[in-house]
Amino acid sequence: MSADAAPARPAARPGPRVRLPVAELRSWAIFGALAVAAWEAASRLYGQPYLLPAPSAIAAEFREHWPLVLGYAAITSQEIVVGFLAGALAALLCAMVFLRLPRLVEDFLYRVIVTLNSTPFVALASLAVVWFGLGLQSKIVIAGMYTFFAVLYTTHKEFISVEVIREQLMDIYNATWWQRIFLLKIPSALPIIFVSLKGGVMAAVNGAIVGELFGAFEGLGYMILDSRYVGNTVRVFLAAVFCTAIGWLLLGAVTLAERLLLPWHVSMAGRR
Amino acid sequence: MTAAVTAPIIRLEAVSKTYDLPRAGARGAADRALNVVYDLSLDVQPREFVSIVGPSGCGKTTALFMLAGLREASAGRIEVCGRPPREAVRAGLSSVIFQQPVLFEWLTAEENVLLPLRMRDARWWAWPARRGRYLAAARRALETVELSGFEHYYPDALSGGMQQRVAIARALTLDPQVLLMDEPFGALDEITRDRMNLELIRLAEARGLTIVFVTHSIEEAVFLSDRVVVMSRGPSPATGSSVVRVLDVGLPHPRQLALKEEPAFFQKVREGREALRQTQGVA
Repeated sequence: MSADAAPARPAARPGPRVRLPVAELRSWAIFGALAVAAWEAASRLYGQPYLLPAPSAIAAEFREHWPLVLGYAAITSQEIVVGFLAGALAALLCAMVFLRLPRLVEDFLYRVIVTLNSTPFVALASLAVVWFGLGLQSKIVIAGMYTFFAVLYTTHKEFISVEVIREQLMDIYNATWWQRIFLLKIPSALPIIFVSLKGGVMAAVNGAIVGELFGAFEGLGYMILDSRYVGNTVRVFLAAVFCTAIGWLLLGAVTLAERLLLPWHVSMAGRR
Repeated sequence: MTAAVTAPIIRLEAVSKTYDLPRAGARGAADRALNVVYDLSLDVQPREFVSIVGPSGCGKTTALFMLAGLREASAGRIEVCGRPPREAVRAGLSSVIFQQPVLFEWLTAEENVLLPLRMRDARWWAWPARRGRYLAAARRALETVELSGFEHYYPDALSGGMQQRVAIARALTLDPQVLLMDEPFGALDEITRDRMNLELIRLAEARGLTIVFVTHSIEEAVFLSDRVVVMSRGPSPATGSSVVRVLDVGLPHPRQLALKEEPAFFQKVREGREALRQTQGVA
Protein backbone atom coordinates (compact mmCIF):
# COMPACT_ATOMS: atom_id res chain seq x y z
CA MET A 1 0.00 0.00 0.00
CA SER A 2 1.28 3.46 -0.77
CA ALA A 3 0.20 7.07 -1.14
CA ASP A 4 -3.46 7.08 -0.19
CA ALA A 5 -3.10 4.02 1.95
CA ALA A 6 -2.15 5.85 5.12
CA PRO A 7 -5.04 5.57 7.54
CA ALA A 8 -6.59 8.90 8.39
CA ARG A 9 -6.63 7.98 12.04
CA PRO A 10 -4.26 5.44 13.44
CA ALA A 11 -5.14 2.23 15.19
CA ALA A 12 -8.91 2.28 15.21
CA ARG A 13 -9.25 -1.38 15.91
CA PRO A 14 -12.53 -2.86 17.05
CA GLY A 15 -13.14 -4.39 20.40
CA PRO A 16 -14.44 -1.84 22.83
CA ARG A 17 -11.90 -0.58 25.26
CA VAL A 18 -13.24 1.22 28.26
CA ARG A 19 -10.68 3.18 30.18
CA LEU A 20 -11.54 4.87 33.42
CA PRO A 21 -11.75 8.58 32.64
CA VAL A 22 -9.28 9.48 35.39
CA ALA A 23 -8.84 13.13 34.47
CA GLU A 24 -12.58 13.65 34.30
CA LEU A 25 -13.18 11.94 37.64
CA ARG A 26 -10.47 14.02 39.23
CA SER A 27 -11.95 17.30 38.05
CA TRP A 28 -15.37 16.18 39.29
CA ALA A 29 -13.89 15.33 42.68
CA ILE A 30 -12.22 18.73 42.93
CA PHE A 31 -15.37 20.49 41.81
CA GLY A 32 -17.46 18.47 44.27
CA ALA A 33 -15.18 19.16 47.21
CA LEU A 34 -15.20 22.89 46.47
CA ALA A 35 -18.98 22.96 46.12
CA VAL A 36 -19.53 21.09 49.40
CA ALA A 37 -17.09 23.38 51.22
CA ALA A 38 -18.83 26.48 49.85
CA TRP A 39 -22.20 25.05 50.83
CA GLU A 40 -20.98 24.30 54.37
CA ALA A 41 -19.61 27.82 54.73
CA ALA A 42 -22.76 29.43 53.32
CA SER A 43 -24.98 27.42 55.63
CA ARG A 44 -22.97 28.41 58.73
CA LEU A 45 -22.88 32.07 57.74
CA TYR A 46 -26.61 32.08 57.01
CA GLY A 47 -27.30 30.48 60.37
CA GLN A 48 -30.77 29.09 59.59
CA PRO A 49 -30.33 25.30 59.39
CA TYR A 50 -34.06 24.83 58.85
CA LEU A 51 -33.84 26.61 55.48
CA LEU A 52 -30.33 25.65 54.42
CA PRO A 53 -28.90 22.75 56.38
CA ALA A 54 -25.14 22.21 56.16
CA PRO A 55 -23.69 19.14 54.42
CA SER A 56 -22.28 18.06 57.76
CA ALA A 57 -25.81 18.04 59.21
CA ILE A 58 -27.05 15.99 56.27
CA ALA A 59 -24.19 13.55 56.73
CA ALA A 60 -25.01 13.30 60.46
CA GLU A 61 -28.65 12.59 59.60
CA PHE A 62 -27.51 9.81 57.26
CA ARG A 63 -25.24 8.29 59.94
CA GLU A 64 -28.17 8.17 62.31
CA HIS A 65 -30.80 6.75 59.95
CA TRP A 66 -28.79 4.97 57.28
CA PRO A 67 -30.67 1.64 57.28
CA LEU A 68 -33.93 3.42 56.59
CA VAL A 69 -32.48 5.74 53.94
CA LEU A 70 -30.64 2.98 52.12
CA GLY A 71 -33.77 0.83 52.21
CA TYR A 72 -35.80 3.64 50.67
CA ALA A 73 -33.08 4.30 48.09
CA ALA A 74 -33.12 0.61 47.13
CA ILE A 75 -36.89 0.70 46.62
CA THR A 76 -36.78 3.86 44.52
CA SER A 77 -33.84 2.53 42.48
CA GLN A 78 -35.81 -0.61 41.76
CA GLU A 79 -38.76 1.43 40.50
CA ILE A 80 -36.50 3.56 38.35
CA VAL A 81 -34.50 0.71 36.84
CA VAL A 82 -37.47 -1.54 36.08
CA GLY A 83 -39.52 1.40 34.80
CA PHE A 84 -36.67 2.68 32.66
CA LEU A 85 -35.90 -0.71 31.10
CA ALA A 86 -39.56 -1.45 30.44
CA GLY A 87 -40.22 2.03 29.05
CA ALA A 88 -37.15 2.00 26.80
CA LEU A 89 -37.91 -1.48 25.51
CA ALA A 90 -41.55 -0.59 24.89
CA ALA A 91 -40.49 2.54 23.01
CA LEU A 92 -38.09 0.54 20.83
CA LEU A 93 -40.70 -2.09 20.06
CA CYS A 94 -43.29 0.58 19.41
CA ALA A 95 -40.97 2.39 16.97
CA MET A 96 -40.44 -0.93 15.16
CA VAL A 97 -44.14 -1.73 15.05
CA PHE A 98 -44.81 1.73 13.66
CA LEU A 99 -42.75 0.84 10.61
CA ARG A 100 -44.92 -2.17 9.98
CA LEU A 101 -48.31 -0.53 10.34
CA PRO A 102 -50.43 0.79 7.51
CA ARG A 103 -50.07 4.52 7.12
CA LEU A 104 -53.52 5.28 8.47
CA VAL A 105 -53.09 3.27 11.67
CA GLU A 106 -49.64 4.73 12.21
CA ASP A 107 -51.05 8.22 11.82
CA PHE A 108 -53.80 7.48 14.31
CA LEU A 109 -51.48 5.98 16.92
CA TYR A 110 -49.05 8.81 16.48
CA ARG A 111 -51.80 11.29 17.22
CA VAL A 112 -52.79 9.37 20.33
CA ILE A 113 -49.22 9.48 21.54
CA VAL A 114 -48.82 13.16 20.74
CA THR A 115 -52.00 13.86 22.71
CA LEU A 116 -50.82 11.81 25.67
CA ASN A 117 -47.45 13.48 25.50
CA SER A 118 -48.96 16.96 25.67
CA THR A 119 -51.12 16.01 28.66
CA PRO A 120 -49.26 17.07 31.81
CA PHE A 121 -47.36 14.05 33.06
CA VAL A 122 -48.31 14.88 36.60
CA ALA A 123 -51.97 14.36 35.75
CA LEU A 124 -51.19 11.00 34.17
CA ALA A 125 -49.03 10.09 37.14
CA SER A 126 -51.79 10.76 39.63
CA LEU A 127 -54.08 8.60 37.53
CA ALA A 128 -51.52 5.81 37.50
CA VAL A 129 -51.53 5.81 41.29
CA VAL A 130 -55.32 5.52 41.23
CA TRP A 131 -55.21 2.66 38.74
CA PHE A 132 -52.20 0.70 39.92
CA GLY A 133 -52.30 1.34 43.66
CA LEU A 134 -49.84 2.66 46.20
CA GLY A 135 -47.27 -0.08 45.69
CA LEU A 136 -44.31 -0.40 43.36
CA GLN A 137 -46.33 -1.06 40.21
CA SER A 138 -47.73 2.45 39.88
CA LYS A 139 -44.23 3.99 40.24
CA ILE A 140 -42.80 1.58 37.70
CA VAL A 141 -45.60 2.49 35.32
CA ILE A 142 -44.95 6.20 35.77
CA ALA A 143 -41.16 5.94 35.43
CA GLY A 144 -41.72 3.73 32.38
CA MET A 145 -44.14 6.21 30.88
CA TYR A 146 -41.69 9.08 31.31
CA THR A 147 -38.95 7.04 29.63
CA PHE A 148 -41.23 5.75 26.90
CA PHE A 149 -42.09 9.21 25.65
CA ALA A 150 -38.52 10.42 25.93
CA VAL A 151 -37.27 7.54 23.76
CA LEU A 152 -40.11 6.86 21.33
CA TYR A 153 -40.12 10.11 19.38
CA THR A 154 -36.43 10.11 18.69
CA THR A 155 -36.22 6.45 17.83
CA HIS A 156 -39.16 6.56 15.45
CA LYS A 157 -37.76 9.65 13.77
CA GLU A 158 -34.36 8.01 13.38
CA PHE A 159 -35.86 4.81 12.00
CA ILE A 160 -37.63 6.66 9.22
CA SER A 161 -34.72 8.97 8.38
CA VAL A 162 -32.20 6.37 7.26
CA GLU A 163 -30.37 7.59 4.14
CA VAL A 164 -32.18 6.52 0.96
CA ILE A 165 -29.03 5.12 -0.59
CA ARG A 166 -28.56 2.76 2.36
CA GLU A 167 -32.10 1.51 1.93
CA GLN A 168 -31.26 1.00 -1.74
CA LEU A 169 -28.26 -1.04 -0.76
CA MET A 170 -30.59 -3.21 1.32
CA ASP A 171 -32.86 -3.48 -1.74
CA ILE A 172 -29.96 -4.70 -3.81
CA TYR A 173 -29.15 -7.37 -1.26
CA ASN A 174 -32.75 -8.41 -1.12
CA ALA A 175 -32.84 -7.80 2.62
CA THR A 176 -35.80 -8.98 4.65
CA TRP A 177 -37.72 -6.59 6.88
CA TRP A 178 -35.93 -7.93 9.96
CA GLN A 179 -32.54 -7.59 8.32
CA ARG A 180 -33.33 -3.97 7.57
CA ILE A 181 -34.24 -3.42 11.20
CA PHE A 182 -31.33 -5.19 12.82
CA LEU A 183 -28.56 -4.63 10.31
CA LEU A 184 -29.41 -1.10 9.23
CA LYS A 185 -32.03 0.82 11.16
CA ILE A 186 -31.11 -0.01 14.74
CA PRO A 187 -27.34 0.36 14.36
CA SER A 188 -27.66 3.62 12.46
CA ALA A 189 -30.15 4.99 14.99
CA LEU A 190 -28.21 3.77 18.01
CA PRO A 191 -26.11 6.91 18.63
CA ILE A 192 -29.24 9.04 18.79
CA ILE A 193 -31.17 6.38 20.71
CA PHE A 194 -28.47 6.62 23.35
CA VAL A 195 -28.91 10.37 23.57
CA SER A 196 -32.61 9.81 24.22
CA LEU A 197 -31.86 7.01 26.70
CA LYS A 198 -29.75 9.41 28.73
CA GLY A 199 -32.68 11.80 28.81
CA GLY A 200 -34.89 8.80 29.57
CA VAL A 201 -32.89 7.83 32.67
CA MET A 202 -33.36 11.28 34.13
CA ALA A 203 -37.03 11.22 33.19
CA ALA A 204 -37.40 7.85 34.94
CA VAL A 205 -35.89 9.27 38.15
CA ASN A 206 -38.39 12.12 37.99
CA GLY A 207 -41.22 9.74 37.23
CA ALA A 208 -40.52 7.47 40.19
CA ILE A 209 -40.25 10.40 42.62
CA VAL A 210 -43.42 12.03 41.28
CA GLY A 211 -45.19 8.69 41.64
CA GLU A 212 -44.10 8.37 45.25
CA LEU A 213 -45.19 11.92 46.00
CA PHE A 214 -48.69 11.02 44.85
CA GLY A 215 -49.02 8.20 47.29
CA ALA A 216 -46.65 5.64 48.73
CA PHE A 217 -45.56 4.16 52.00
CA GLU A 218 -41.89 3.90 51.20
CA GLY A 219 -39.17 5.24 48.92
CA LEU A 220 -37.21 8.48 48.62
CA GLY A 221 -40.19 10.44 47.30
CA TYR A 222 -42.23 9.32 50.27
CA MET A 223 -39.36 10.35 52.51
CA ILE A 224 -39.35 13.84 50.97
CA LEU A 225 -43.07 14.26 51.48
CA ASP A 226 -43.08 12.83 55.01
CA SER A 227 -40.06 14.85 56.18
CA ARG A 228 -41.50 18.05 54.79
CA TYR A 229 -44.72 17.55 56.77
CA VAL A 230 -42.81 17.29 60.00
CA GLY A 231 -40.46 20.13 59.01
CA ASN A 232 -37.33 17.97 58.72
CA THR A 233 -35.54 19.87 55.93
CA VAL A 234 -32.31 17.99 56.55
CA ARG A 235 -33.94 14.77 55.55
CA VAL A 236 -35.49 16.34 52.42
CA PHE A 237 -31.98 17.33 51.39
CA LEU A 238 -30.71 13.87 52.18
CA ALA A 239 -33.37 12.32 49.93
CA ALA A 240 -32.55 14.78 47.16
CA VAL A 241 -28.86 13.90 47.40
CA PHE A 242 -29.69 10.21 47.04
CA CYS A 243 -31.99 10.86 44.06
CA THR A 244 -29.17 12.70 42.35
CA ALA A 245 -26.72 9.93 43.15
CA ILE A 246 -29.06 7.29 41.69
CA GLY A 247 -29.52 9.41 38.57
CA TRP A 248 -25.79 9.74 38.15
CA LEU A 249 -25.13 6.06 38.64
CA LEU A 250 -27.73 5.11 36.05
CA LEU A 251 -26.48 7.75 33.65
CA GLY A 252 -23.03 6.27 34.11
CA ALA A 253 -24.37 2.82 33.34
CA VAL A 254 -26.02 4.04 30.14
CA THR A 255 -22.85 5.86 29.13
CA LEU A 256 -20.83 2.72 29.77
CA ALA A 257 -23.22 0.72 27.60
CA GLU A 258 -22.88 3.37 24.91
CA ARG A 259 -19.10 3.13 24.93
CA LEU A 260 -19.26 -0.63 24.72
CA LEU A 261 -21.80 -0.66 21.89
CA LEU A 262 -20.60 2.28 19.81
CA PRO A 263 -16.84 1.99 19.58
CA TRP A 264 -17.12 3.09 15.97
CA HIS A 265 -18.96 6.34 16.52
CA VAL A 266 -17.35 9.76 15.97
CA SER A 267 -18.22 10.84 19.48
CA MET A 268 -15.92 8.07 20.70
CA ALA A 269 -12.99 9.47 18.74
CA GLY A 270 -9.96 9.80 20.95
CA ARG A 271 -11.42 7.38 23.44
CA ARG A 272 -10.34 4.39 21.44
CA MET B 1 -13.14 -6.93 -27.20
CA THR B 2 -16.32 -5.92 -28.95
CA ALA B 3 -16.97 -9.28 -30.45
CA ALA B 4 -20.42 -8.96 -31.96
CA VAL B 5 -20.85 -12.70 -32.30
CA THR B 6 -21.69 -13.39 -28.66
CA ALA B 7 -25.05 -12.55 -27.14
CA PRO B 8 -25.05 -9.24 -25.30
CA ILE B 9 -25.00 -9.50 -21.51
CA ILE B 10 -26.84 -6.20 -21.10
CA ARG B 11 -29.64 -5.03 -23.37
CA LEU B 12 -31.41 -1.72 -23.28
CA GLU B 13 -34.18 -1.39 -25.83
CA ALA B 14 -35.80 2.00 -26.39
CA VAL B 15 -35.67 2.79 -22.68
CA SER B 16 -37.18 6.02 -21.41
CA LYS B 17 -37.56 7.40 -17.93
CA THR B 18 -40.01 10.01 -16.74
CA TYR B 19 -40.02 11.22 -13.17
CA ASP B 20 -43.24 12.47 -11.66
CA LEU B 21 -42.21 15.43 -9.60
CA PRO B 22 -44.65 16.66 -6.99
CA ARG B 23 -44.53 20.43 -6.98
CA ALA B 24 -44.06 22.17 -3.65
CA GLY B 25 -47.47 23.02 -2.26
CA ALA B 26 -49.25 20.52 -4.47
CA ARG B 27 -50.95 17.70 -2.62
CA GLY B 28 -49.61 14.23 -3.19
CA ALA B 29 -50.21 13.50 -6.82
CA ALA B 30 -47.65 14.17 -9.48
CA ASP B 31 -47.83 17.62 -10.86
CA ARG B 32 -45.15 17.84 -13.45
CA ALA B 33 -43.49 15.11 -15.42
CA LEU B 34 -39.75 15.34 -15.99
CA ASN B 35 -38.22 13.33 -18.79
CA VAL B 36 -34.63 12.41 -18.18
CA VAL B 37 -33.86 9.49 -20.47
CA TYR B 38 -35.11 9.33 -24.04
CA ASP B 39 -35.17 6.26 -26.22
CA LEU B 40 -31.95 4.72 -24.97
CA SER B 41 -30.85 1.57 -26.77
CA LEU B 42 -27.58 -0.14 -26.02
CA ASP B 43 -26.16 -3.65 -26.14
CA VAL B 44 -23.16 -4.47 -24.01
CA GLN B 45 -21.11 -7.56 -24.78
CA PRO B 46 -19.67 -9.83 -22.11
CA ARG B 47 -16.31 -8.55 -20.80
CA GLU B 48 -16.89 -5.20 -22.42
CA PHE B 49 -16.14 -1.94 -20.63
CA VAL B 50 -18.68 0.75 -21.51
CA SER B 51 -18.65 4.25 -20.10
CA ILE B 52 -21.52 6.71 -20.07
CA VAL B 53 -20.60 10.39 -20.11
CA GLY B 54 -22.70 13.50 -20.35
CA PRO B 55 -23.48 16.80 -18.66
CA SER B 56 -25.12 16.94 -15.25
CA GLY B 57 -28.79 16.06 -15.40
CA CYS B 58 -28.54 14.09 -18.65
CA GLY B 59 -29.83 10.97 -16.93
CA LYS B 60 -26.64 8.92 -16.83
CA THR B 61 -27.09 8.05 -13.19
CA THR B 62 -30.76 7.31 -13.84
CA ALA B 63 -29.75 4.97 -16.66
CA LEU B 64 -27.35 3.16 -14.33
CA PHE B 65 -29.94 2.96 -11.57
CA MET B 66 -32.37 1.41 -14.05
CA LEU B 67 -29.72 -1.18 -14.93
CA ALA B 68 -29.36 -1.85 -11.21
CA GLY B 69 -33.09 -2.28 -10.77
CA LEU B 70 -33.23 0.66 -8.38
CA ARG B 71 -35.44 2.63 -10.77
CA GLU B 72 -38.19 1.29 -12.96
CA ALA B 73 -38.01 2.20 -16.67
CA SER B 74 -41.07 4.15 -17.82
CA ALA B 75 -40.90 2.59 -21.26
CA GLY B 76 -38.74 0.08 -23.08
CA ARG B 77 -37.07 -3.12 -22.01
CA ILE B 78 -33.96 -3.82 -19.99
CA GLU B 79 -32.22 -7.12 -19.53
CA VAL B 80 -29.13 -7.88 -17.49
CA CYS B 81 -27.70 -11.40 -17.78
CA GLY B 82 -30.95 -12.38 -19.50
CA ARG B 83 -33.10 -11.26 -16.58
CA PRO B 84 -34.93 -8.15 -15.49
CA PRO B 85 -32.37 -5.88 -13.79
CA ARG B 86 -33.89 -6.21 -10.32
CA GLU B 87 -33.67 -9.98 -10.44
CA ALA B 88 -30.13 -9.90 -11.77
CA VAL B 89 -28.90 -7.67 -8.97
CA ARG B 90 -30.71 -9.68 -6.33
CA ALA B 91 -29.28 -12.89 -7.69
CA GLY B 92 -25.81 -11.37 -7.37
CA LEU B 93 -25.23 -11.46 -11.13
CA SER B 94 -24.74 -7.72 -11.20
CA SER B 95 -23.43 -5.42 -8.54
CA VAL B 96 -23.55 -1.67 -7.98
CA ILE B 97 -20.94 0.80 -6.81
CA PHE B 98 -22.20 4.23 -5.92
CA GLN B 99 -20.61 7.66 -5.93
CA GLN B 100 -20.13 7.33 -2.19
CA PRO B 101 -18.84 4.12 -0.66
CA VAL B 102 -22.06 3.73 1.41
CA LEU B 103 -20.32 1.64 4.03
CA PHE B 104 -21.93 0.95 7.37
CA GLU B 105 -19.75 2.82 9.83
CA TRP B 106 -20.65 0.47 12.70
CA LEU B 107 -19.12 -2.47 10.86
CA THR B 108 -15.43 -3.11 10.24
CA ALA B 109 -14.14 -3.29 6.67
CA GLU B 110 -14.40 -7.07 6.83
CA GLU B 111 -17.96 -7.06 8.18
CA ASN B 112 -18.98 -4.59 5.49
CA VAL B 113 -17.62 -6.91 2.85
CA LEU B 114 -19.43 -9.84 4.45
CA LEU B 115 -22.74 -7.97 4.43
CA PRO B 116 -24.06 -9.19 1.04
CA LEU B 117 -23.33 -12.79 2.04
CA ARG B 118 -24.99 -12.26 5.36
CA MET B 119 -28.19 -11.06 3.68
CA ARG B 120 -28.47 -14.19 1.59
CA ASP B 121 -29.97 -16.14 4.41
CA ALA B 122 -32.68 -14.63 6.57
CA ARG B 123 -31.99 -16.99 9.47
CA TRP B 124 -29.93 -14.80 11.76
CA TRP B 125 -29.12 -17.64 14.10
CA ALA B 126 -27.40 -19.48 11.29
CA TRP B 127 -25.03 -16.58 10.62
CA PRO B 128 -22.29 -17.34 13.15
CA ALA B 129 -21.87 -20.76 11.60
CA ARG B 130 -21.94 -19.46 8.03
CA ARG B 131 -19.66 -16.54 8.81
CA GLY B 132 -16.60 -18.71 9.18
CA ARG B 133 -17.30 -20.29 5.83
CA TYR B 134 -17.56 -16.92 4.09
CA LEU B 135 -14.70 -15.23 5.86
CA ALA B 136 -12.11 -16.54 3.42
CA ALA B 137 -14.08 -15.08 0.50
CA ALA B 138 -14.29 -11.70 2.21
CA ARG B 139 -10.56 -11.72 2.96
CA ARG B 140 -9.86 -12.60 -0.66
CA ALA B 141 -12.05 -9.75 -1.88
CA LEU B 142 -10.20 -7.33 0.39
CA GLU B 143 -6.92 -8.73 -0.90
CA THR B 144 -8.06 -8.09 -4.48
CA VAL B 145 -8.47 -4.42 -3.68
CA GLU B 146 -5.15 -4.40 -1.80
CA LEU B 147 -6.62 -3.91 1.63
CA SER B 148 -5.11 -6.89 3.41
CA GLY B 149 -4.31 -5.90 6.97
CA PHE B 150 -7.18 -3.44 7.17
CA GLU B 151 -9.89 -6.03 7.82
CA HIS B 152 -10.59 -4.81 11.32
CA TYR B 153 -10.63 -1.09 10.65
CA TYR B 154 -13.80 0.91 10.85
CA PRO B 155 -14.61 2.89 7.68
CA ASP B 156 -14.14 6.08 9.65
CA ALA B 157 -10.46 5.34 10.02
CA LEU B 158 -9.88 4.75 6.30
CA SER B 159 -9.15 7.32 3.59
CA GLY B 160 -11.72 8.06 0.89
CA GLY B 161 -9.91 5.90 -1.65
CA MET B 162 -9.68 3.02 0.78
CA GLN B 163 -13.36 3.29 1.63
CA GLN B 164 -14.24 3.05 -2.04
CA ARG B 165 -12.01 -0.01 -2.29
CA VAL B 166 -13.95 -1.62 0.52
CA ALA B 167 -17.12 -0.86 -1.42
CA ILE B 168 -15.62 -2.54 -4.49
CA ALA B 169 -14.61 -5.56 -2.42
CA ARG B 170 -18.16 -5.72 -1.08
CA ALA B 171 -19.52 -5.62 -4.62
CA LEU B 172 -17.22 -8.50 -5.58
CA THR B 173 -18.17 -10.88 -2.77
CA LEU B 174 -21.13 -12.32 -4.63
CA ASP B 175 -18.88 -12.87 -7.65
CA PRO B 176 -20.95 -10.82 -10.12
CA GLN B 177 -20.56 -10.86 -13.89
CA VAL B 178 -21.57 -7.24 -14.28
CA LEU B 179 -20.32 -4.23 -12.34
CA LEU B 180 -22.42 -1.06 -12.50
CA MET B 181 -20.42 1.93 -11.35
CA ASP B 182 -21.78 5.43 -10.78
CA GLU B 183 -18.89 7.93 -10.75
CA PRO B 184 -17.11 5.75 -8.22
CA PHE B 185 -13.89 7.79 -8.19
CA GLY B 186 -15.44 11.23 -8.57
CA ALA B 187 -14.49 12.28 -5.07
CA LEU B 188 -10.85 11.20 -5.30
CA ASP B 189 -7.75 13.19 -6.19
CA GLU B 190 -6.21 12.62 -9.60
CA ILE B 191 -3.29 10.44 -8.53
CA THR B 192 -5.52 8.16 -6.47
CA ARG B 193 -8.03 8.07 -9.27
CA ASP B 194 -5.38 6.96 -11.76
CA ARG B 195 -4.33 4.18 -9.44
CA MET B 196 -7.91 3.08 -8.91
CA ASN B 197 -8.50 3.12 -12.67
CA LEU B 198 -5.54 0.85 -13.30
CA GLU B 199 -6.65 -1.50 -10.56
CA LEU B 200 -10.15 -1.57 -11.96
CA ILE B 201 -8.84 -2.54 -15.39
CA ARG B 202 -6.69 -5.27 -13.89
CA LEU B 203 -9.65 -6.50 -11.88
CA ALA B 204 -12.02 -6.47 -14.85
CA GLU B 205 -9.61 -8.51 -16.92
CA ALA B 206 -8.74 -10.94 -14.17
CA ARG B 207 -12.35 -11.63 -13.35
CA GLY B 208 -13.81 -11.29 -16.82
CA LEU B 209 -16.16 -8.55 -15.65
CA THR B 210 -18.51 -6.56 -17.80
CA ILE B 211 -18.54 -2.96 -16.62
CA VAL B 212 -20.86 -0.04 -17.16
CA PHE B 213 -19.16 3.04 -15.80
CA VAL B 214 -20.76 6.44 -15.39
CA THR B 215 -18.42 9.41 -15.22
CA HIS B 216 -18.35 13.06 -16.21
CA SER B 217 -14.70 12.88 -17.19
CA ILE B 218 -14.31 12.13 -20.88
CA GLU B 219 -10.62 11.38 -20.31
CA GLU B 220 -11.35 8.78 -17.69
CA ALA B 221 -14.00 7.26 -19.94
CA VAL B 222 -11.67 6.99 -22.92
CA PHE B 223 -8.84 5.59 -20.84
CA LEU B 224 -10.97 2.85 -19.31
CA SER B 225 -13.45 1.87 -21.96
CA ASP B 226 -13.98 -0.11 -25.11
CA ARG B 227 -16.90 2.15 -25.95
CA VAL B 228 -18.04 5.53 -24.65
CA VAL B 229 -21.69 6.48 -24.76
CA VAL B 230 -22.20 10.25 -24.88
CA MET B 231 -25.56 11.38 -23.54
CA SER B 232 -27.23 14.76 -23.73
CA ARG B 233 -29.82 16.51 -21.68
CA GLY B 234 -33.02 16.03 -23.59
CA PRO B 235 -33.32 14.17 -26.89
CA SER B 236 -30.74 14.82 -29.55
CA PRO B 237 -32.41 16.53 -32.54
CA ALA B 238 -30.91 14.05 -35.00
CA THR B 239 -32.07 10.82 -33.39
CA GLY B 240 -34.62 11.73 -30.74
CA SER B 241 -32.57 9.70 -28.32
CA SER B 242 -30.57 10.70 -25.25
CA VAL B 243 -27.54 9.15 -26.90
CA VAL B 244 -25.64 11.64 -29.01
CA ARG B 245 -22.91 9.31 -30.02
CA VAL B 246 -21.33 5.98 -29.23
CA LEU B 247 -17.59 6.26 -29.52
CA ASP B 248 -15.52 3.18 -30.33
CA VAL B 249 -12.28 3.72 -28.45
CA GLY B 250 -10.23 0.95 -30.08
CA LEU B 251 -7.04 1.67 -28.09
CA PRO B 252 -4.76 -1.25 -27.26
CA HIS B 253 -5.20 -3.40 -24.17
CA PRO B 254 -4.10 -3.65 -21.45
CA ARG B 255 -4.30 0.06 -20.79
CA GLN B 256 -1.29 1.70 -19.19
CA LEU B 257 -0.87 5.21 -17.84
CA ALA B 258 1.60 5.96 -20.64
CA LEU B 259 -1.33 5.78 -23.02
CA LYS B 260 -2.48 9.12 -21.70
CA GLU B 261 0.52 10.78 -23.40
CA GLU B 262 -0.18 9.34 -26.84
CA PRO B 263 -1.74 11.15 -29.81
CA ALA B 264 -4.25 8.34 -30.41
CA PHE B 265 -5.56 8.91 -26.90
CA PHE B 266 -5.79 12.68 -27.38
CA GLN B 267 -7.61 12.12 -30.66
CA LYS B 268 -10.26 9.98 -28.96
CA VAL B 269 -10.65 12.42 -26.10
CA ARG B 270 -11.10 15.23 -28.62
CA GLU B 271 -13.78 13.23 -30.46
CA GLY B 272 -15.55 12.60 -27.24
CA ARG B 273 -15.30 16.22 -26.23
CA GLU B 274 -16.76 17.31 -29.56
CA ALA B 275 -19.69 14.96 -29.14
CA LEU B 276 -20.14 16.30 -25.63
CA ARG B 277 -20.07 19.86 -26.94
CA GLN B 278 -22.94 19.01 -29.27
CA THR B 279 -25.02 18.23 -26.23
CA GLN B 280 -24.69 21.76 -24.95
CA GLY B 281 -27.08 23.42 -27.37
CA VAL B 282 -29.78 20.84 -26.82
CA ALA B 283 -31.24 21.28 -23.39
